[in-house]
Amino acid sequence: MGSVIIENMTKQFGDFTALHNINLEIQEGEFFALLGPSGCGKTTTMRCIAGFEHPTSGKIKIGDKEVEKIPANRRNCGMVFQSYALFPHMNVFDNVAYSLNIKQLNASNPVKQLGIYARLLSKRLGRTPKDIQEKVMEILKYVELDQHAERLTSELSGGQQQRVALARALVMEPAVLLMDEPLSNLDQKLRHSMRNTIRTIQQDLGITTIFVTHDQEEAMSMADRVAVMDKGNIVQIGTPTELYSNPLTPFIADFVGTSNILDVEVVDHNQLNGLTTLKGDSFLLQSTNTIEKKQAKAVIRPEHIQVLPYDTAVNNEEVTVLEGIVVMSTYLGPTVRYDMKVGNQEMIVDTTYSSGTSIFEEGRKVKLSIEHGRVLLI
Amino acid sequence: MKARFNGLSVVKIFIYAFFGLFLIIPLLAVFLISFTNEPVNIIGTFTDPAVFSSTIDKLKAINLENYRQIFSNAGYLDSLKNSLSLALVVMVLVILICIPLAYGIARTNMPFKKTISALCTIPLIIPTFISAYAFIIMFGRAGWVTYFYEMLGGEGMLIDPYSMTGIILVQVFFFFPYALWPLVAAFKISDVTLEEASLNLGAKNWFTFIFVTFPLAIPGIISSALLIFTVSFSDFGTPIVLAPKDLNLMVVEAYREISGFFNWGGAAILTVIMIIVAALFFWLQHILTKGKNYGSVSGKPKQQKMVTNKVVTRSLSVYSFIIVLVPLLAMLSVLLQSVATTWGKDLLPSGYTLKHYQTIFSTSLGNIQNSIVLAIGALVLSVIIATFVSYFVVRQNSAKMDFMTSIPLVVPGIAFGIALIQTFNVAPLQLTGTAILLIIAYTIRRLPYMVRSTMGAMRAIKQDIEEAAINLGATPLTAAITVIGPLLLPGIAAGSVLVFITVIKETSISILLAPPEWAPMSLAIFQNILRAEYYSAAAMSVILVALVLVLQGLASYIGKKQRL
Ligand SMILES: Nc1ncnc2c1ncn2[C@@H]1O[C@H](COP(=O)(O)OP(=O)(O)O)[C@@H](O)[C@H]1O
Ligand SMILES: [Mg+2]
Repeated sequence: MGSVIIENMTKQFGDFTALHNINLEIQEGEFFALLGPSGCGKTTTMRCIAGFEHPTSGKIKIGDKEVEKIPANRRNCGMVFQSYALFPHMNVFDNVAYSLNIKQLNASNPVKQLGIYARLLSKRLGRTPKDIQEKVMEILKYVELDQHAERLTSELSGGQQQRVALARALVMEPAVLLMDEPLSNLDQKLRHSMRNTIRTIQQDLGITTIFVTHDQEEAMSMADRVAVMDKGNIVQIGTPTELYSNPLTPFIADFVGTSNILDVEVVDHNQLNGLTTLKGDSFLLQSTNTIEKKQAKAVIRPEHIQVLPYDTAVNNEEVTVLEGIVVMSTYLGPTVRYDMKVGNQEMIVDTTYSSGTSIFEEGRKVKLSIEHGRVLLI
Repeated sequence: MKARFNGLSVVKIFIYAFFGLFLIIPLLAVFLISFTNEPVNIIGTFTDPAVFSSTIDKLKAINLENYRQIFSNAGYLDSLKNSLSLALVVMVLVILICIPLAYGIARTNMPFKKTISALCTIPLIIPTFISAYAFIIMFGRAGWVTYFYEMLGGEGMLIDPYSMTGIILVQVFFFFPYALWPLVAAFKISDVTLEEASLNLGAKNWFTFIFVTFPLAIPGIISSALLIFTVSFSDFGTPIVLAPKDLNLMVVEAYREISGFFNWGGAAILTVIMIIVAALFFWLQHILTKGKNYGSVSGKPKQQKMVTNKVVTRSLSVYSFIIVLVPLLAMLSVLLQSVATTWGKDLLPSGYTLKHYQTIFSTSLGNIQNSIVLAIGALVLSVIIATFVSYFVVRQNSAKMDFMTSIPLVVPGIAFGIALIQTFNVAPLQLTGTAILLIIAYTIRRLPYMVRSTMGAMRAIKQDIEEAAINLGATPLTAAITVIGPLLLPGIAAGSVLVFITVIKETSISILLAPPEWAPMSLAIFQNILRAEYYSAAAMSVILVALVLVLQGLASYIGKKQRL
């Protein structure tokens, strides 16, 4: 079991630098997500940990041990591939038993090895030892596949294949579990239930897990901590709530959840009430946050903006009130999303919808109320 | 990825050593001997100091005298000229014959298209020396064609099979399928929109064909032509049976020099020239087809308008039947001869019997066994080597290995045989005359086909399957044995049948290298023909062709099952 520490890791493919000076410290038992758009270097990071790629410079430690000199087959990192990479010529049982058979093979003398090779190539030539059988069946039961042990993997559904891949990685009791976009091949519904399954198993076994995804919802809902990557750099590491409420860059604000990111100019900071006044495209805005820069970005989450009928009188010192026009309204079940225009500035607003309230129709003039505390500056 | 030393690197070294020893060194030896005009024992040079010093002496004495002699020795120069003109004439004739045939198959609705296409594969399953021998049965002094010809008032033979003309005809009628299928492909891709535009502009069909369709197919035509040139130039079976004493051809001349006169220098020079010519044409063909992926020229395949004009399709159909009739009749002649009591100068044999087959099963069963054992030996060796070679080429992008295992494609069989004899007829590795060397020679010669088949299967196995095995603790070698190997099996099976068939058909290597106690069927037939024991030769040929047919059937069965 172990922590994973990456120090100053850089990876180049020819002239192209895929990873710039990556630093990560993943605790033992932690569920850690690598989040970022496609092509940002997530898979490369993972392949470096698994030993399929070798960093151009930097160090990787698994459980306090430097792994540079350890080849991929002895790193004991269980990997769940994006395509699952199940062995198509083996049934479910043999897929899961593979690592245990190999372990036995590596520990045997050459004569015994021949026997193990023979039974790996043809069932008729030998039987899987009892202890391996038991272990495999135990883990299959755990992922609810013990009924399908004799099936070919091609006869299973996507979700079942996914669990075979997971069982196959878990049975070797890896120091770290690596998962590369494991849910991306599943349909929406299955994806949600697999999220829970994976999270539960991870908690249950307390296994250090690195989970790669480009889906922020996935990362935010499953991981203890998330590292957001962009163009080969790690831009922020934090818990899901930290990332959401305190994005360090507009990229993260945009990538983690939906945000209104407004270009603003800092015009005044009032020492008495602690409010910063911002001048936007065609509006003034106030925030309780401070920033050193003159040109900044104000980040406002769509659900932090309140929509009110135009004739409402607002007497609240703690909010900014803007006038807007509804450009489009989209009904999303429990919420309604409005595309608004404030002057020339476009804004997205999410409001909870409960029956009885009416939806503001397109073209309608409305008031928008934003709490000073909800205006982030970056 | 950094190269790491493991079981696989050992295998890689072993394969390089194998090819180095049995392909590169022999070719190098022939090259040296072509200069020294004396045997050079390359392997001995590195193991025996005495041989070393003698080799050094020979190398010091190197000069171009030997090559100068080519131009003074009329025999060599003639043989080069004759071989080149043979290949040239065959190339031109094959292309001329194939153009209407290919056009008919690719672009018209001619009647019996399927039957004609099927019949066009016959020539490919018959070893050329049997085809040549079939021509003797037909056109020889006592042939039934000759009988027919005289009946119609002709005098002597219509065509003397023992002549340049005879050789040309056999090669044309038995090699044309090599050009046919690439030509069909070339006609299929021709730009339909251009043709339609031409027709829209009021052009006649024939005009469109000559000025639009045909020019677009020209790259395909040239490439097929070059292929036929190489095949004809390297063919040993036809000339060795049909070439008269006064007709010098390189392959025959080289064979006589080595097996008749033990003239090492002469054989070496001929071998070097043969390889250079074959390699040159192979290379020309390669650069011509490179980067041209037929079928994907204009993205998706377009619906092509088929010519339905009855006059055109019917005459094309009749023409095609005439072309495929010749090889068909040749094979029927061999079949008839094998069951004939006697067949003199007559239309049909005077009586029928199975005694020739009896004779074969009582006296020559050994040859059949030898063929099968040798073919199995070559097959096992090819499977093992090809599996690893395709792994290295596909997974590790080993261009060197790809190149090395393609070399046998350009070395004519007779040239390779001579190279092997000259290298392995002395200590420390005296292998000439052993079944081992024969099997190795077959293996190396046919490996490119096997590698192609396994490489296709290897490409279909995704990289992450192998990585998964390694991730689960397997060494690369263990992953190759337990995961990659089993997944390659279908590709291996297909390639194996191909290797088996070509080894059974193999002529030049068998004739040059097979010791009497290991004589395969092809050698036995060859010797029967030389001894004028035509009836047993015919029976054995029928058995050989039947064996090939059965295997071919097996191969297409496997192929079909795979696709299901
Ligand atoms: N073997 C390779 N050779 C060259 N470039 C590569 C290789 N592997 C990945 N890359 C490049 O590195 C970048 C990061 O790739 P990857 O780690 O697969 O991204 P992600 O998994 O985040 O989508 C991409 O631009 C990709 O093209
Ligand atoms: Mg990826």
